[in-house]
Amino acid sequence: MSKYLVKRLIRGLISVVIIVAVIMLLVYTFIKREDIFKNDPNFSKKLSNARDVYQYERWEDFGYLDYVPYGDWLNMLVKDGTLTSEKRNEVAQFGYTEADDTPAVKEYVDKFKAYYQSKGYTIVRLDADMKKITVGGRQVLFAYKDIPVLTRLWKFFTSILEVDTIHYVENDEDLVGERGLTFTFFDPAAGGKFSPAIMGNGTKHKYLLYFDNQFPFIHQNVVKFHLGKSFAVNRGVEVVETMTNKQGSIVKSEVTYPTGYVEETSDDLHTATFSPNANLDNTFIKTRFTDKYTNVTSVKSSGSRITLSFIIGIISSIIAYLLGVPIGIAMARNKGKWFDKIATAYIVFILAVPSLVYIFIFRTVGMAAKLPGKFDIDSNNPLQFVLPIVSIALPSVAGLMQWLRRYMIDQMNSDYVKFARSGGMSERGIFSKHILKNAAIPLVHGIPGTILGALVGGFITETIYSVPGTGRMLTQAITLRDNAVIVGLAAFYSMLSIISLILGDILMALVDPRISFTDKAR
Amino acid sequence: MKKDELALIKYYSTKVADVADENKQVNLQELNMANEELFAHQDHSDLESEKITAPRYSYWKSVFRVFFKRKINIIFLALLGLVLAITYIYPLIMGYDPDVTPNIHIRDFSAWNLSPEQAIEKYGFSLHWILGTGMRGQSTFDYIWYGGTISLSLAFICAAINMIIGIALGAIWGFSKKFDIFMTEVYNIIGNVPGILVITVLVLILTAGFWTMVFALTITGWLGIAYFIRTQVIIIRDREYNLASRCLGTNIFRIAFKNVLPFMTSVIVTLLATEIPAYISSEVFLSYIGLGMSDMSLGRIIQEAQASMLVQGRQIQFWAPVAVSAVITIVLYVVGQNLGDASDPRTHM
Repeated sequence: MSKYLVKRLIRGLISVVIIVAVIMLLVYTFIKREDIFKNDPNFSKKLSNARDVYQYERWEDFGYLDYVPYGDWLNMLVKDGTLTSEKRNEVAQFGYTEADDTPAVKEYVDKFKAYYQSKGYTIVRLDADMKKITVGGRQVLFAYKDIPVLTRLWKFFTSILEVDTIHYVENDEDLVGERGLTFTFFDPAAGGKFSPAIMGNGTKHKYLLYFDNQFPFIHQNVVKFHLGKSFAVNRGVEVVETMTNKQGSIVKSEVTYPTGYVEETSDDLHTATFSPNANLDNTFIKTRFTDKYTNVTSVKSSGSRITLSFIIGIISSIIAYLLGVPIGIAMARNKGKWFDKIATAYIVFILAVPSLVYIFIFRTVGMAAKLPGKFDIDSNNPLQFVLPIVSIALPSVAGLMQWLRRYMIDQMNSDYVKFARSGGMSERGIFSKHILKNAAIPLVHGIPGTILGALVGGFITETIYSVPGTGRMLTQAITLRDNAVIVGLAAFYSMLSIISLILGDILMALVDPRISFTDKAR
Repeated sequence: MKKDELALIKYYSTKVADVADENKQVNLQELNMANEELFAHQDHSDLESEKITAPRYSYWKSVFRVFFKRKINIIFLALLGLVLAITYIYPLIMGYDPDVTPNIHIRDFSAWNLSPEQAIEKYGFSLHWILGTGMRGQSTFDYIWYGGTISLSLAFICAAINMIIGIALGAIWGFSKKFDIFMTEVYNIIGNVPGILVITVLVLILTAGFWTMVFALTITGWLGIAYFIRTQVIIIRDREYNLASRCLGTNIFRIAFKNVLPFMTSVIVTLLATEIPAYISSEVFLSYIGLGMSDMSLGRIIQEAQASMLVQGRQIQFWAPVAVSAVITIVLYVVGQNLGDASDPRTHM
């Protein structure tokens, strides 16, 4: 069995790679690049040459091309030591037009051109727009090169997992003390109470493993999952972080900083990451932090996108199974009677009517019963979960009812049931011991899919109730043309669906001893 | 056998029985009949002996007999006819055009957003105004059916394309083992791409027209149908009657078209019954999130009227298209499902 599963896992991974490649190809090559700026207010504010620069910068952010301004190249030379800072300042100011360049500048501009042209870049020099010089008409010089799809794909998959090591920080002088890991039973960020934690020096995250009072109570920062950076949905933030970061309003509590300073603040010290540009002489930082691990996020009141989707999804799945299974059984037992007919009418309604329509019907009925019809992230009212949960649960009840009824009726006509009946077994015994067990096997296959599907969230439900969950993230990313998020979410969804299929098969094999995945038994 | 012969046998058998009751031996001569009268010579005919005396079975006749036996089916079929007639004929007669028509009063402020009563009061009673007017002063009733035509046509075209490709490829997929290995991998890969993603990307690349929508809904839509057909084919393919057929030397195409395909008629009709409402449903949803067609489909109308739902007295602008899409899909679904049930030969007893 394990050999079979390894094989399937590998094939699953291959199909994830292909899916991401296909989506990347579709998104990056077929959607017009200019479309990104359709909904961008910053773009329409920019004028003249500044607008071109902004375009290329965004394209670099979105992963279309590699963009190198002349100034950045000069800074790179300074870093290498081939250029002094004074010389850099002298040659950085190139003329309004090419004819205005001083000989020194011309030398470096030509070097810049020659260097990047040899690497296959395109050089763009835009002359100053004298009429708009103050509002963005300044002269610009840069080189750019399109990134091929394969390179992009390679980058995506090589950066998908990031393991934090003590060699993350490059310069030793940035660190306070020795590189290494320390283990403590009394985490200072937890107020010195008993709370084991592993802290690192030289790593990206200060806390590698820690406990706190938030679900799932133990947290790690060693292995991080990357699905690309978002630019429009959540500017400059990782897709995974956008999904997992908390939302809502800031919550303040009493926090003890590493220096011992106590303050009422929203800073979450467990999220501290290394910030190379932190100035330890700054009084604000000096009073609070002892090292350059100063980059912290805020504690917020409401759940992350994935938590919200998961809460709604999992509760609605539980409700669906709790309602759907008994109703499906009752339908099969009363086949052809009025109960079966009413329930069948409900199934027809759910299957035939567009989902948008019945969700609106649920919403209208719910709002008439004074339930909130829009989700508000800042409110702690648990009632706002009711309508989204109901809107997902009721349709899935119909699906469960339909399948369980069909499976049970199929089983009822089979020979072993007739045999059990002729042997004098009670009707009730036949139903609970034979029919239900056999009919439940195909349903069991879907359980992991339901649980993992809860992470994805309902596109329609989350859009209608404006729940800030993962389901709405995809529609947002599509309308904002956020390519990285589209690709990242596609990878996320396909991984989830492959995992849930494999888990479903395993669960089915556990429930039904007749099913075996070894080659021999087949 | 002829009728009078039957009567004759009956007569004599009762006579014989009477005699037997008295425990007497039957002496045929006591009947005072000639041998010619008692026995008729029957010629043996090979042709006659091969005939089956059971009533003639016609598949489609039985399908419709079973279908029309239930009153509810007749009602729903009549409703379907009515819905199809209104969606396809009514807009033709009215000549409704979303841009130019005497029924739109875009400049006449007093004609906007009227309730049915107000509209009938303003224009007098006619079919146009029974649902009031919309936000451009157009007749809601005309508008909905115009949208219904587009949505229904989209669903029919998509279903036709997907079913044809799906059934053809599904049959090959089920029969050919080499093709199965290849197609299963394709299915595993494409099946995991979120459908909404494919559709949006295609709508973004191409212009958002009717045929773009058809393309987007069919480019991966056939795969699910093909997979379903493939599973059904594999189940039926190795049944005993097909093994026997193959042993007798029937070629594979004959088995596919004569033995397997008729077996799957009911499955295909049932599938069609779920597919058509599903296309209408996805069109409505895609339009709702702003990825729909540029044409005024039912989905676009629902999306456009969304704001009206919250305004007192204008709710009908939202609920009318919602109700119409529900009626269209339910009628199609019920008729299709029951036709699917009726086309299962096991119900023909």
